[in-house]
Amino acid sequence: MRLAKKRRVDLVPYLFIAPQLILFAIFFILPAIIGIVAAFSKWNIYTDSAPIFNGLSNFEQILFDSETSYYTMFRNGMGNTLLFVVISVPLCILLPLFMAIVLSQKPIGHKFFQALYYLPNIFSISTVILVWFYVFNRSDGLANNSLSAILGQTVNLNWLGTQPFAWVAITIVTVWWCLGGNLVIYLAAINGVSADLLEAAQIDGAGLPTRMWKIVLPSIRPQLSYTIVLTTISQFNIYGQSLMLTSGGPDSSTYTMMMYIRQLAFGSSSVAGIAASMALMFGIVMIITSTVLNRVTAQRD
Amino acid sequence: MRKIFKDRNKVVAFVLCLVMAIVCVTPVLFSFFTSVRSELEIMTGGFSFLPADWTFENYVELFSSEYSTSYPILRWFLNSMIVAVSQTILVVIVASASAYAYSRLEFRGKNVLFWFLMATMTFPSVINIIPMYKICQTLGIVDTLWALILPGIPGVFNIYLIRQFMLGIPKELDEAAMIDGANRFQIYYKLILPLCTPVLVVVAMFAFTGAWNDYLWPSIVMNKVDMLTITPGLQKIKDSFNTMPAHAIAGGFISVIPTFIFYLFAQKYFMKGMQMQAGVKG
Repeated sequence: MRLAKKRRVDLVPYLFIAPQLILFAIFFILPAIIGIVAAFSKWNIYTDSAPIFNGLSNFEQILFDSETSYYTMFRNGMGNTLLFVVISVPLCILLPLFMAIVLSQKPIGHKFFQALYYLPNIFSISTVILVWFYVFNRSDGLANNSLSAILGQTVNLNWLGTQPFAWVAITIVTVWWCLGGNLVIYLAAINGVSADLLEAAQIDGAGLPTRMWKIVLPSIRPQLSYTIVLTTISQFNIYGQSLMLTSGGPDSSTYTMMMYIRQLAFGSSSVAGIAASMALMFGIVMIITSTVLNRVTAQRD
Repeated sequence: MRKIFKDRNKVVAFVLCLVMAIVCVTPVLFSFFTSVRSELEIMTGGFSFLPADWTFENYVELFSSEYSTSYPILRWFLNSMIVAVSQTILVVIVASASAYAYSRLEFRGKNVLFWFLMATMTFPSVINIIPMYKICQTLGIVDTLWALILPGIPGVFNIYLIRQFMLGIPKELDEAAMIDGANRFQIYYKLILPLCTPVLVVVAMFAFTGAWNDYLWPSIVMNKVDMLTITPGLQKIKDSFNTMPAHAIAGGFISVIPTFIFYLFAQKYFMKGMQMQAGVKG
């Protein structure tokens, strides 16, 4: 039979793609499938070799059974994560955009400033936290002491232990961390905007704000759309900031979804099925959000 | 040169840039100055922006045997180095080989496979992370560096980036080489790869910093303290912040040295990489 085939299958191309496909199957496809199945299962990751199917029970507990701690965890984690996304994403877009417009004026040292703003991007989250943790120290930190100096009276805020300051601190750190990434993208996009068009607009009497609003922003719309979606997804995944800066406190008010998922799945009494259900719902929320954002922000032709 | 914006704008822009720079840098300086104060001075001296006495003892002590029993920072550094370097090399090889096939070779199922891979990029990775642990356990690689190296290799976005770049290289080159008797492995290795150097550098740098900075996954899959990489290792050090803040901060600064050196020399490529990813020419 095989000999009857006229054309021999050319195997060489498959050799090029095989290493990636094999690793992709093991470390992406397989976990994705198991992750979805596990959402409908009972699963102690340390003792059970495989998830044990139990239908919709996990979802019932998490969503409707207000007696269980999972119900409270999910609501709290989801609420806190969404709150953080809503606060941080606009700042992580608008501040870089503003600074990109400023830098596009090419002031003295603009290359240096750009490199400086981007620098925190290459730091790991633990370094970021170690750099900032002492800043928020109540008595000896930079935050309270510089505020005291500016305001001329003693400021004694418990930054990491009271709200809304805990969120403010987390947001400041996050914005500082991710400012440069989006800035670099916007700056390149702005620099790509046709100089002739801008010049023509200026001759017609359009001021800088008008030129930015009417010409530059529409031209960099694809990059805005891209960064809005990507920034949103990455802020949904907030984990290290809360874990290391506030330990989820005060009163679990900065406990995020990722923290709960991790804790439930890999805690001493592993309830990985519950964690997988939460992960699935959380993942669906992320997909819906990014799809909607993409629809809303992308170019309509 | 285009003279669209007036000099006045440049002055205002400079002032804004300077203010922003001060806001961004001051916390880092404050922490750095704290890390070169002695722990005693911090305990007793209260707030001070500049240290009364400069000392680099904290940095040295991080590597002392006493400190290392609880926080084996040197070992973490070594683990990070092994993971980041090997993952970078493997990512470049594996992703460029795939990208070569998807951009320049003909085979059945090519488009379906490629678009399937691209579609998976929107899949939220939070769903994968729990089963990944189980898979690594089944493979017997929990608490080994393989658990950190292997899962990062098949990243789809790298294939996309390299393929985009390869599509810009004229196909006539391959045909000419083919006529000269080169086979496809030789064309890939000797002709296409060298031409792709800019994109490969970008992919390599992001692979390296990505592996170096990875936090959640290593903290899950490494149960033994000795097997941690520096980024989750620093979290352990952070637990000692209240008793030894200067040491903890010093650890944070030490951990960025490799990526920082990288950045100093290849800054341009980092920016170019961000712009490539966003589909905008730098």
